[in-house]
Amino acid sequence: MDATIIIDSLPSLLKATLMTIFLSGISILIALVIGFVTALIRIVKIKVLYQIASVYISIIRGTPLLVQIYVIYFGLPQIGITIDPIPSGILALSLNAGAYLSESFRASILAVDNGQMEAAKSMGMTYWQALRRIIFPQSLRIAIPTLSNSFIVLIKDTSLVSVITVTELLQMSSLIIAKTFEPLTIYLTAAVLYWLVITFFTSLLNKLEKHSSKHLAR
Amino acid sequence: MNIIQVENLKKTFGENPVLCGIDLTVKKSEVVVIMGPSGSGKSTLLRCLTFLEEPNEGIINIGDYKIHAEGKANRKRRKEIREMRIKTGFVFQSFNLFPHKTAIENVMEGPMTIFGVKPVEARKVAENLLIKVGLGDRCDHYPTQLSGGQQQRVAIARSLSLNPTVMLYDEPTSALDPELVREVLQVIKELAEEGMTMLIVTHEMNFAKEVADRVIFMDEGLIVEQGTSEEMFNNPKEERTKRFLTKVETN
Repeated sequence: MDATIIIDSLPSLLKATLMTIFLSGISILIALVIGFVTALIRIVKIKVLYQIASVYISIIRGTPLLVQIYVIYFGLPQIGITIDPIPSGILALSLNAGAYLSESFRASILAVDNGQMEAAKSMGMTYWQALRRIIFPQSLRIAIPTLSNSFIVLIKDTSLVSVITVTELLQMSSLIIAKTFEPLTIYLTAAVLYWLVITFFTSLLNKLEKHSSKHLAR
Repeated sequence: MNIIQVENLKKTFGENPVLCGIDLTVKKSEVVVIMGPSGSGKSTLLRCLTFLEEPNEGIINIGDYKIHAEGKANRKRRKEIREMRIKTGFVFQSFNLFPHKTAIENVMEGPMTIFGVKPVEARKVAENLLIKVGLGDRCDHYPTQLSGGQQQRVAIARSLSLNPTVMLYDEPTSALDPELVREVLQVIKELAEEGMTMLIVTHEMNFAKEVADRVIFMDEGLIVEQGTSEEMFNNPKEERTKRFLTKVETN
């Protein structure tokens, strides 16, 4: 193990870490939208869309992410749909996380006490007003711990995108190792960088959870 | 003038008949207490009045609204039910305050969301209502920071925020510790004195004696007997009423 190798490769690794953060950030945002919308479709039971959402969730949860990445990047060109590596990665990651987030959201909406909906309705609110003003804010707080979990998994899963030539943290590490022949040093450095990124995200969500639970403090 | 007029209201849960044809009228400013053993359909009756439960048969008139149980579940009917609910305050046994909002935000919620009232104005109205129920100093407390009695009083203020023409209470003190019952009943009594029309399901006999213009006794989904509280408590005609009253009194 040689400290100079770490120092020399750090700029490249940090740059690749930015790519990892970029992939995670964009994918999380898209996944949140997909997860929320599909959860809503399944709660409100909108015809046809309900079936589509259920099939989507079943397929995504029932197949490995690596296979999904291969299908999108290597498979789709066969029917004339060619997507660049980075958009392919983002698509696969957000579709994947979206399915899991959908389940979290749905469970957290159903977890809000039924009396809340009744109280809102008895005041004369529409179903949508009741969801927006009363149910969603409460379900978000319930969802945060599981959201946090999904985010951690998603950040780690960005490493799988290295198989389609996206130069994120893991791919960059392998490139550097090919030149320096120092796998232990470089992979450990990469591991530390992953840990830092994930710890940062987790602490953000912990803060959000504390903030959203302030009404529960006596 | 009748504020509530219910005709032949029927409700079954699966095979179970819960309401077997209820006829009921409540006049303006009248306070009506409904009593009866558990399972007699009192709560279901109240919940059917505002369509929290969909009744199977019957006609419900509240204020200017007349809604048929068998009406088509279309947009127009949903809107009518919503408007009728705005005019009908409902107080739950379990309070059902919004836990993520402070006391005053709970009371501001209806006017802001339903009428689009500006926060500044809604706050003024809400503050006055909380003062009215004796909680002017608890505006910024969250429900978890309040006692059961205080929570129920906030819930009453929340119902009043929409200027209802009638208030329905579904066992408002049954979830409370005995020493907190009084403060909630006091608020309801004051509303009665102001002339609010109210329909109250409760087991509090002394309260009924003090406040009720009329007491209704229900059993097995039917109104068995009704009359002034004196008639009902001192001199009930029906055997079932007598049996129920002796049970409640020995408790």
